[in-house]
Amino acid sequence: MASAPQSHRKLRFHILRYNPAKADDEPRIQTYELEEAPGMTLFIALTEIREKQDPSLQFDFVCRAGICGSCGMMINGRPSLACRSVTQSFPDDIWLAPLPVFELIGDLSVNTGKWMRGMSEKLETWVHMKQEELDFKRIEAPMDPALAEEIYELDRCIECGCCVAGCGTARMREDFVGAVALNKIARFRLDPRDDRTDEDFYELVGDDNGVFGCMSLLGCHDVCPKQLPLQTQIAFLRRKMVAQGTKG
Amino acid sequence: MKIVHTDVLVIGGGLAGLRLAIGAKRRGHDAIILSLVPAKRSHSKAAQGGMQASLGNVAKGQGDNEDVHFEDTVRGSDWGADQEVVRMFVNTAPKAVRELAAWGVPWSRVRKGDRTVIINGQKVTITERDEAQGLVAQRDFGGTKKWRTCYAADGTGHAMINAVADQAIADSIPVHERMEALALIHDGNRCYGAVVRDLITGEVSAYVATATAVCTGGAGRVYRTTTNAVICEGIGHALALETGASALGNMEAIQFHPTGIFPAGILVTEGCRGDGGLLKDVDGHRFMPDYEPEKKELASRDVVSRRMEEHIKKGKGHQSRFGTHLWLDITLLGEKHIHTNLREVWDICHYFLGVDPVKEMIPVRPAQHYTMGGVRTDASGQSPTLKGLFSAGEASCWDMHGFNRLGGNSVAETVVAGMIVGESVADYCDAIANAPTVPMGLVREFVEREQAKLAQFTKAGGKEDASVIKGEMQDLMTAKVGIFRTGADLEEAVDKLQKLLVRSRAIGLRSPTLGANPELVTAYRVQRMLKVALTVAYGAAVRTESRGAHFREDHPRRNDAEWLKRTLATWKGESDTLPTLAYEPLDVGRMELPPGWRGYGAKDYLDHPDTPARQQAVEAIRAQHANDRFAMQAALMPYEHLLPPVLRGRNERIDEKF
Amino acid sequence: MSSNQETIAGVGLADRPRKSRWPARMDLAQSTTGLVLALFMWGHMFFVSTILISKDAMWAVTKMFEGYFFFGKAFPGIVSVVVATILAILVLHAFLAMRKFPANYRQYREFVAHKNLMHHGDTTLWWWQVLTGFALFFLATVHLYQMLMHPGAIGPYQSADRVWTGSWWPLYLVLLFAVELHGGIGLYRLCVKWGWLEGKDPAASRARLKTAKWVLTAFFLALGLLTLGAYLKIGYEHRARAGEVYTPAWVQPNPMEKAP
Repeated sequence: MASAPQSHRKLRFHILRYNPAKADDEPRIQTYELEEAPGMTLFIALTEIREKQDPSLQFDFVCRAGICGSCGMMINGRPSLACRSVTQSFPDDIWLAPLPVFELIGDLSVNTGKWMRGMSEKLETWVHMKQEELDFKRIEAPMDPALAEEIYELDRCIECGCCVAGCGTARMREDFVGAVALNKIARFRLDPRDDRTDEDFYELVGDDNGVFGCMSLLGCHDVCPKQLPLQTQIAFLRRKMVAQGTKG
Repeated sequence: MKIVHTDVLVIGGGLAGLRLAIGAKRRGHDAIILSLVPAKRSHSKAAQGGMQASLGNVAKGQGDNEDVHFEDTVRGSDWGADQEVVRMFVNTAPKAVRELAAWGVPWSRVRKGDRTVIINGQKVTITERDEAQGLVAQRDFGGTKKWRTCYAADGTGHAMINAVADQAIADSIPVHERMEALALIHDGNRCYGAVVRDLITGEVSAYVATATAVCTGGAGRVYRTTTNAVICEGIGHALALETGASALGNMEAIQFHPTGIFPAGILVTEGCRGDGGLLKDVDGHRFMPDYEPEKKELASRDVVSRRMEEHIKKGKGHQSRFGTHLWLDITLLGEKHIHTNLREVWDICHYFLGVDPVKEMIPVRPAQHYTMGGVRTDASGQSPTLKGLFSAGEASCWDMHGFNRLGGNSVAETVVAGMIVGESVADYCDAIANAPTVPMGLVREFVEREQAKLAQFTKAGGKEDASVIKGEMQDLMTAKVGIFRTGADLEEAVDKLQKLLVRSRAIGLRSPTLGANPELVTAYRVQRMLKVALTVAYGAAVRTESRGAHFREDHPRRNDAEWLKRTLATWKGESDTLPTLAYEPLDVGRMELPPGWRGYGAKDYLDHPDTPARQQAVEAIRAQHANDRFAMQAALMPYEHLLPPVLRGRNERIDEKF
Repeated sequence: MSSNQETIAGVGLADRPRKSRWPARMDLAQSTTGLVLALFMWGHMFFVSTILISKDAMWAVTKMFEGYFFFGKAFPGIVSVVVATILAILVLHAFLAMRKFPANYRQYREFVAHKNLMHHGDTTLWWWQVLTGFALFFLATVHLYQMLMHPGAIGPYQSADRVWTGSWWPLYLVLLFAVELHGGIGLYRLCVKWGWLEGKDPAASRARLKTAKWVLTAFFLALGLLTLGAYLKIGYEHRARAGEVYTPAWVQPNPMEKAP
């Protein structure tokens, strides 16, 4: 690494600004110039813009480490996590816009939380146990280690909304549950602690708002920041739901 | 004026807040959770390595039980912890893991038979027992005698908060997202809820509750270099502090995690070292055994962080263009292990450093990580001085961590405290004496006061810039109130922080609107953060000894004779620039484990005058009950009466079958 | 939510306890009809391209489908039955696939904006599927109707005359591109949709499938263009005697044998 001071690029951030709470506000692209710094992420860049240039700029960061899913936004046209996007990997002009589909709060901030809660309530994304009262003083029920790893793999979803924003179906049809939901159903289907059967899962995703609405464009799979196996999971779920739906 | 009524108001939607709300709700009390962000985005999510619970399933955890966990925790705390609370905690932790297992956490599980692990830089074969097949696995963590840390790869907090937040949804507990509490409503004796601001609309309303719980996590963002999320600004601490009635305990006890990636400060888990990773210097030399021959990389965090900084001071750090750092080497763990058990670490190194940890070493340096101190509560989680105010998790100081917490004990604490305090909150709500008699005039007064404060920012035309003040505070804290502390530095910090606090009262806004306005948020938060920072710096300046993570170069010895006591900070008057400090002595005469050497770190300490007598008494009791550890424990320090009835009872293990 | 609705006797029941089985059936049917059509189209291309071998070969294939070699006599009605079946499958497929099309201007605008912004291969390919599918609705139907009504008018000269003298070649040219693109993309999408040929490394398999898809599309386009060229050439040369039926020399009645 060179220690001598070097000249840095001038980055131009073109940011879609719009505050729906202001009656007279019009959506517009606003451009900010910023000198690049070594190791600069969009978290660092946007924070600096807000602190030094425009205190009204709205965006969301929480963990700034790529694990909480707060900072999904459209970066040069594709949904991605801003906190771990390094400016070095972009050209001089960087275009930022809020994730589509979700309710806009202002500028780059969208209400993914509300959407995800609604999805969870609708699809009941929790372990359904027949037995409510377990004795936790007793040794836990064993589970196949490989199965635990498989469930963890699907449980890595951070609900950032990138898959939904990257989905052509979700863009067109607001009732479509999105890959995030289908992955969750696949996850709970895999979990032996969840007593639900395919018949129950069919009730949740067995229609055109669910797994049959998916057109296999695979935008979700290709933009998922956690590289979840959405392609294979949705395919698997589709097979199971068709089997359930065409049974008897 | 909008008023929302509920039985239980939980401020903070992390693991502690969620679990507490679930507990209260299952006892029949309505609960509302306020959260700055969607619950699953809380900083609990960032816990990577695992949660301590003495299940003793793995071969290296055999023989583990509550007693061993208790001793590790108390030693880790440098005898600052409340030992009764530690007992409550260690007895509940196994139940918490098992509850979470039932709720769907994909804990990593034991595979029977031989497996190769890295211990002390060497490949070692361990044989797991047949009867452990499929049970929750444990890994090694710092400061523990046994492998005790239960984990789900290195996304433990993530998996836990997924399961717990989903249960909260199943229980129909509303989470009011993007809502921020501005003040606790109270009359000096009792808390009635909070004044709340909607971060989207800017609307200010009152949430009136029988019980109010502060579960807001840590205050890491008062520092520049921290592993904490940007929302961990200590606002919950400040809410309690600003009541003037409730106190913050041990705020000077700040933990620095040895392995924040350099320079971003993002955490890579202690599991890296627990699984066999090594710390190396500029020469590629593994230096920890030189300082800590016994525990090496796996001494407690305060010790490892200090040794690292000590080594850097000796000129053994690696110089990069960002500054000096050391190396964490996990290449010896192998590709498969890293890709299965340390995936988030791989992700972080890949995206933020451009480093492949399978092949390259990770640049690390200690970074602020944890706030041991917090809202002082009793063992039930309630403030002893402000009725109806509860606290759980990192925001609280019921005091199970003392002056240093062990890795894996905080994520365990979140759910354990949630379970215990959830029951206390429900008990409180059940008690008829607490039937809501809300003084509505008081509620209105508090709301109007907060509205006036907000208007002050937008209308008074102050000239100070909130983010500049915040930046100066963070730099000051990192430079002067860090790992190595001196009286001169601390006095300078206290002085400058006071000046910053005065300046913060003249903050003006460039964008003066009361709606969604990030600048306004920074403005009112920085005033509160400064108060919290002052409790840290001032507490550290006054405490003239070294204990746990609080290390004074000018007072390097632990001094039980004078300082075996808990700092209590209160903020008496609105115009004050310093907290008022008081001290609460710890009773050696009731300790199950009297103060001694921790087993790592400096051996040099001053004894409390009561220690020898208590030591003798303890030894006598131990001898008397040598064959029955439960009877021995009950004779040493009874604690079970403090636990809610549903959480009492022994824990089954492979080696302790019911 | 509308998803749980079921219509019974013309009345929608808002809260039917169990979800309809129809979405599963329709999803399966859409894929199955697509698969049948795509495989048919490939076979069809091979059959018509026999003209590249010789007129006789193409004649033989035609006659085979008319049952000539089984019954000793040509029954063009068999072709009509096949065509009618394909037409029915096509209509069913179009009906099912249409559910996925943008249903109004808002959806159209959203999708086009999304596609243009994302620069995402599989998303853009779907848009091509929509456009070609829409085109096939007309092109394929016209072609099939012609075949249904004039099943006997298939042969080296009759087909070539239709292409040239009958001025069908512009339709066939567009149809060729539409059908090859639509079918190729469709088959690739069927694989990823149902998880066929996933193998151990689904990402690598998907990349291989994508390559295979383009190779096959290129191959069939080339074959199609050559075939169309061949018919154009024959049709042009045969324009003076358009309407004449081709009969191979070896099946033409031998005048010598006819004599007693």
